[in-house]
Amino acid sequence: MATIALRNLVKSYGKTDVIHGINLDIADGEFVVFVGPSGCGKSTTLRMIAGLEEISGGEILIGNEVVNELDPKRRNIAMVFQNYAIYPHMTVRQNIAFGLYTSPLSREEKDARVTEAATMLGLTALLDRRPAALSGGQRQRVAIGRAMVRDPAAFLFDEPLSNLDAQLRAQMRIEIKRLHQRLGTTIVYVTHDQVEAMTMADRIVVMRDGHILQSGTPTEIYEAPVNVFTAQFIGSPSMNLLPAAEVGGRIVAQSGGPLLVGLRPHDLVAGEGEGAFSISGEVTAVEPLGPETLVHFQTEGRTVIATAPARMVPAIGSTIQASAAAGALYLFDAKTEQAMGRR
Amino acid sequence: MAMTEQGAPTGRPNRPRVFWTMRRRQLLWVWGFLAVPVLFYGVIRFYPTGHAFWLSLTDWDLMSEPSFIGLDNYTRLFADPQFGRVFRNTFAYLIMGTPISLVLSFIIAYALDRVRFGHTFLRALYFLPFITTASAMAWVWRWFYQPAPIGVINDFLSGFGIPQLAFLNSTTWALPSIMVTAIWAGLGFQIIIFMAGLRAIPNTYYEAARIDGLGEWAILRRITLPLLKPTTVFLVVFSSIGFLRIFDQVYNMTTNDPGGPLGSTKPLVLMIYQTAFSSYEMGYAAAQTVVLFTILLVVSLLQLWILRERT
Ligand SMILES: Nc1ncnc2c1ncn2[C@@H]1O[C@H](COP(=O)(O)OP(=O)(O)OP(=O)(O)O)[C@@H](O)[C@H]1O
Ligand SMILES: [Mg+2]
Repeated sequence: MATIALRNLVKSYGKTDVIHGINLDIADGEFVVFVGPSGCGKSTTLRMIAGLEEISGGEILIGNEVVNELDPKRRNIAMVFQNYAIYPHMTVRQNIAFGLYTSPLSREEKDARVTEAATMLGLTALLDRRPAALSGGQRQRVAIGRAMVRDPAAFLFDEPLSNLDAQLRAQMRIEIKRLHQRLGTTIVYVTHDQVEAMTMADRIVVMRDGHILQSGTPTEIYEAPVNVFTAQFIGSPSMNLLPAAEVGGRIVAQSGGPLLVGLRPHDLVAGEGEGAFSISGEVTAVEPLGPETLVHFQTEGRTVIATAPARMVPAIGSTIQASAAAGALYLFDAKTEQAMGRR
Repeated sequence: MAMTEQGAPTGRPNRPRVFWTMRRRQLLWVWGFLAVPVLFYGVIRFYPTGHAFWLSLTDWDLMSEPSFIGLDNYTRLFADPQFGRVFRNTFAYLIMGTPISLVLSFIIAYALDRVRFGHTFLRALYFLPFITTASAMAWVWRWFYQPAPIGVINDFLSGFGIPQLAFLNSTTWALPSIMVTAIWAGLGFQIIIFMAGLRAIPNTYYEAARIDGLGEWAILRRITLPLLKPTTVFLVVFSSIGFLRIFDQVYNMTTNDPGGPLGSTKPLVLMIYQTAFSSYEMGYAAAQTVVLFTILLVVSLLQLWILRERT
C-alpha cells in the first residue's frame, strides 16, 4: 500500500510531447480512475507509473520514494494490460500463479491464493485450460487474477473490462470494487467508459491531449464540471449545449449569444412546465427506454435531448416544449468554454 | 440430398441444375494449381527415390543391365568395416554440430535482437557465410588451418607459445576442424530464423513478466524459450538433416584424400559418392542411400515426437 504522486510529469516521443507536465496526488488506498478520449495519454501515464515507459521529465513518487530510475519489479506494482498479456504456453492456473513468481510464500499458500482468485473470478472450471481455448472475457479475467494474487503497493488497470459483455462487466465492476474494499490497496484504473468511472471511482481524473482537465469525486465532476469538455464527457446521454444570453435576469436560448448553457437530458423535461429555462422544437427521434423516453428535437439548429415520462411518446415531426428547473443550468463562457457556475 | 430435392417443389422454386457448381469450380482450380508440383515431385523426386530402392536390390555397375540380387548389398554393407566408421563419423557431426550451432546461433540472435545500432549491417555480416560457395569457404578455412607461418590459427597459437596443432592432418582433430567450418557456414541462416522467431513474441509478454518481478534470466527461461519452441523445433530438424547429409565441407577440405586422413572425417554421403562414382557400384551405392534415407527419416520423426506440443 502506498501513495502515488506525479510531479510535472512529461512524456515525449522524439519531439512530440504526449504528456504535458501533469500533477496528481493519489492517497493511500484511493481508487482513482483516469478517463479521457482515445489517445489522450491514459495508458502512457499508467505505463510510466509501472516503470515500463521512461519518464521524459518530472518525477513519480510511490510511497514518498522517487521511482524514476527504478525497474518495474522493484516498484512492486501489479498491472492488468489492455490486451491481457497472458502467456499462451501456460495453463490458466500457471498464468495466475505467475503473479506469485517472486513471492516467498510456500507452495500451499500460493495454491490457496490461486484457488481463491479463480473462485472469485469464476475460472475454477477453466484452471487447466490454455488461453487459446478461452474467450476474450475469460482471458481478461485470467489477467485480473494474475494481478489479484499479488500483494502489491498499487494495482494498475488499463481498460480491464473493455472486452466483456454488459452483464459480465457490471459483475466485474462490483468484483473489482469489492477487491478494493477488502484489500484497501491503491488502484489506478483507466477506462473509456464513464459509467465505470462514475460507479467505481473515489476520484475521477479527466484527461485530454496529455493534460489533466479536472480531478475530483464523481459527484464533483458531475455537478461542477470545470469546462464544456468535462461536462459533456461525464454523464450519459451527454449534456446538451445551446448558445444563450442573459436577458433581464433570465437565461434564454439565443444563437450567437455570449454564453453556452448546458442542460443534462435528465433535467430537461418535455411537456408544459414552468422552469428557469424553456425551449421548443420539432421532434426528430424518440428512444423509449422503459421507465422514460428520450426525445430528440431540433432547436436553434442543434439537436437537443430531453426526457419525457414513459407513456408520453411524442410523434416525430410534432413540436414539443421542454423546460429545466432552476439550478439545473450549467453556464459556460462561449469563447473559453470554461464554467461560469450554475443557475 | 434426395430428401431436400423432393421437398423442394412445395417450398422454393426449383433451381436450374448447374454443372459447374461452386464446389466443382473450386476443385478444378485446386487441382489445376496442384498439378505442377505433383508432376514435378512425381517425376523429379518420387520416381528416382523409388528407383533407388529397386536399384539397391541389384548389382548394377553402369555397364551391364542390373540383375536382382536380393538383400546382398545390405548384408555386405553391414559387414563392411568402413561403414561402421562412416556411421560413427556421421553421427559425430550430428551430435556435436546440431546443439553447438543452435546454441551459438540463439545466443547471437538474442544479442542482435537487443542491438539497436547497426542492426541490419551486423545481420548481413552473419548471413554472408550462408550465401558463400561451400568450396570457396572450405578453401579459406583450409588456409586458416595450415601450419604456423601460413595458417592464422597456428600463427596465433604460437604467439602464446602453444605447440602447433595438425588440424586437418590429424585423425583426432580433422573432424572437429571440419565441423567448425560447417557450423560457421550454417550459422547465418539459423540466426535469421531465430531472430524472426524472437521478433514474433509480443512485447507485452515481457512487460507483464517484468512487472511480475522476473529477472532477465527468468524471462529467458520461462517466457522467451517456451514461446520460441516452434522455431527451435524447425531448426533442430533442419540442422540435423544438414549435418547428417554433410558433404561439401568434407570433400573440399580433404581433396587430397577425400574423407581422410584415414577415413577419420568421412561421412555417409561421401562414402556413397565414392562407391557410386569411383567404384561404379551403383547397386551398392543405392543401398547406402536407402540406409541414409532411413536414418534421416527416423531421426527427424524422433525429434518431432520428442519436441511435440504436449497439452
Ligand atoms: N511509441 C510511440 N511513439 C509515438 N507516439 C506514441 C507512442 N506510443 C503512444 N504514442 C502516442 O501517445 C498518445 C497517448 O497514447 P496512449 O496509449 O497513452 O493513449 P490512451 O489514452 O491510452 O488511448 P486509448 O484509450 O485508445 O488506449 C497517443 O496520441 C499516441 O499516438
Ligand atoms: Mg490505452
